[in-house]
Formats: sequence, C-alpha cells, structure tokens
Amino acid sequence: MEQLESEIVDSEIVLDSDDAISTPRSGALAPAAIERRRALLYYLVLPLTLLLVTLLGGIRFSSGSIVYIRPALIYLIFAAGLMILFFVANLVRFDGWISERFDITKNLINAITLFALFAASVQVFNSVIPESGIPFWIVSFCFLWTLWNNLFSNFDTKRLLRSLAAMFSLAFVVKYVVLANLARPAEQGWVDAIINNPAQTAATWLLDIPQFSAATGYLQFFTIAIFVIALWFFPNSTEE
Amino acid sequence: MYPLTGAIIAVKPKHFQILGIVLSTMFAFFIVFLYATEPRSLEELTRKASSTVGDALTKGQVIAGTYEVDPAKFAQGLALFNAGDYPGARSSFEAADPEKRDAATQFYIAYSFYRQGWGRFSNDDELFKKGIEAAKKAQTLDGGFVSKDQGLKLKTPAALATELEEGVRITADDFNPMRALEERK
Repeated sequence: MEQLESEIVDSEIVLDSDDAISTPRSGALAPAAIERRRALLYYLVLPLTLLLVTLLGGIRFSSGSIVYIRPALIYLIFAAGLMILFFVANLVRFDGWISERFDITKNLINAITLFALFAASVQVFNSVIPESGIPFWIVSFCFLWTLWNNLFSNFDTKRLLRSLAAMFSLAFVVKYVVLANLARPAEQGWVDAIINNPAQTAATWLLDIPQFSAATGYLQFFTIAIFVIALWFFPNSTEE
Repeated sequence: MYPLTGAIIAVKPKHFQILGIVLSTMFAFFIVFLYATEPRSLEELTRKASSTVGDALTKGQVIAGTYEVDPAKFAQGLALFNAGDYPGARSSFEAADPEKRDAATQFYIAYSFYRQGWGRFSNDDELFKKGIEAAKKAQTLDGGFVSKDQGLKLKTPAALATELEEGVRITADDFNPMRALEERK
C-alpha cells in the first residue's frame, strides 16, 4: 500500500464519474486509480483470500477422498486471542474498519472482512495443530503459551507478522514433516506395517496420529502461505 | 486496459464494496455447505448440491403454499403397493411427498408397514411401530380422512393405528390358535 502511495503522480485528466475520461501516462498513477486498486484489494481480494484460507484449512486427503475437519472449540479461543493480538499490535485498528463515519456498505464489507480474518485464523490453527492424541495437547499448549505471552509483549506490526510466520511454520514442520514421518503410511495394511515398520506402527498407535495423504501437506503449506501474505497486505485502517 | 480498474469504465469503490459483499456471502455459504455436507468427491458434491437445492425448492413451495404431491410418483407407489412390493411402494410415496404433508400418502405408507409386517403367527413389531407413527401423522394432517380404495379394509388412519397398536401389544388373544385363521386386512 505504502508503495502505491509513494508513486509519483503526474498531471492527468480524471473525471470520477460514469463517463470518466482519463489520459494516464506511463508510470504515473492518478489518485482515482490508486483508490480503485485499493478498493479492489480491500473489498474483494482480501475477504475472498481469507475465505479461501477458511475453506482450505480444514481439508485433508485420505485414501483418495477428501476429508473435512471441523475446527475444535479451542481453535476459536486461539483465534480470538490472535484477533486481540492484531488489535494490540495495531495490525488492525477497529475504528479504522468499523465506524459511524463510514456508510453502511463499507461497514458491512469491513465487518465481513474482519469475520473472514477470524475464520481464517481458526482454520489456520485447525491446519497446523494435530487432530488428536498427545500431539494435539502438546502443540495446543505451546500455542496457548505463546499467545498468552505475546498478549503482554510490546509488538509492532512487522514483529508480530514475523512472530506469527515463525510460529505457524514451526507448527507446520512439526505436524507435516516430523509427525507425518512418524506415522504409518495410510495405504499400508496393519499386518504389513507391523512386519515392515514396527516402530512407525507403534508411534502411530501410541501417539494416535491420523494418517493423511502427502497431498495434505502440500495443500496446507500453500494455505498458511496465503494466510501470511494476506496478513502482510492487511491494512490497519480502511480510511482514505 | 483492465476492465475493473481502467478509466474508461469508471468503477467506484462503492461498486467494489457491493460486489465484495455479494461474492463473500456466496463464498461463505459455499464453505458452510461443504463442511456441513462433507462431499468426498466432485461427483458427490454435485449430487449433494442438487439435493440441497431440491430441498430448498420444496421448502419454498411449502412456504408459498404451492406444495403438491407428485402425482406420477404417487401413482407409481400405488401400483407397487397393489403389486405387494411394500418397500418399493414406500420409497415412491416418500419421493412423492418429501415434506410429509399429504394425509393420503402418509396413510398408504402406514398401510404398507402394516401389510409388510403382518404375520399369521406373529407380527414384525419394528415395522408396526413405524406404521403407527405414519398412521398418526396421517391422522394429524387430516382427521377426517377416509380412504376410497376398495382393496383396503381399514379405511381411516385411526382404524389403522388401532390395528397396528393391537398388533404390537401382547395379550392373551395372541395365544389363541384360532388367530391363525385370521386374514390380513
């Protein structure tokens, strides 16, 4: 956004009406064009991207079929904590999104975008926290500890984003690299697994690790990446 | 020239806001639908989507007061009922009246449970209990319903419900050897 604003605007004719005429020069952006691009990002790209994260965060692949994992209650609590963190770190300024100064459509789309941010946060936790067993409790506790500590730390927006990217990427590695390699392959039968992979079979049984296809890891990698990129572009206010 | 951001067609931020509200709401409903129905493949997604749309249309007809029983499916159910294929008849009757709002259809469903569950020496209690439920539903829908079907000896939902309830109850009469001579109604 700052990059867009800092671009030099040369003189040009722009009439912001239904029959607008403009003669933009190459390399120059008129305030109206900047406003349109900003509107495109704020009111279309951001809410739809966050909703895409909401959709993808709970999807897993198992034995050729799609499995939809609904979020556990604790993820809603984590997401609420994360939203508070966004407000505290000034990543989102509430009165810059919902205000009596804005008209109803702007307030409505902003409320939808904030809700989409909350829903996407819920689904990102759903994505990176193991579904069941001891790993679920250990990783959940780590998230709780981190979020609780962060709530009382002095964060600026960039530090918060770096911290979140690090937190989610670490959790991703734990779930989709470490635990996935400990788990018995989904396609392998029990007898075959006990004979050929006794350690993995024991770990799967002891840790209660759900078995998903490798495609799940790839999908969730892009889901987390999209979420972090969306946060990067998320403005703290939509005021002009 | 970008059609959304170009200057020839001036798109105002307000237009983006309205478009954003519409698209986001539709996408959110789609996500809720996916997580509620959990389709396992694209084929299942299409099937569940058409079934959801069908249900919504039927509910819309009920609200608008234009709901009607499908006469073709009802006739098919009746033909199967008269041929003695009671599970098949029930399936057709249920398809004809998905909202369970027609007394005649519910009466035939109850009767199909009675006929399928009736036995000379013992009745199928499970089927009879389902029959009681359907007969009571028919009675609630139309208390004055009287069947004109000459092939049925029990003409009203109340009579059918009583017969079914007696069939479920264990009485001394159940041990009467003369019961074997009774005919199905």
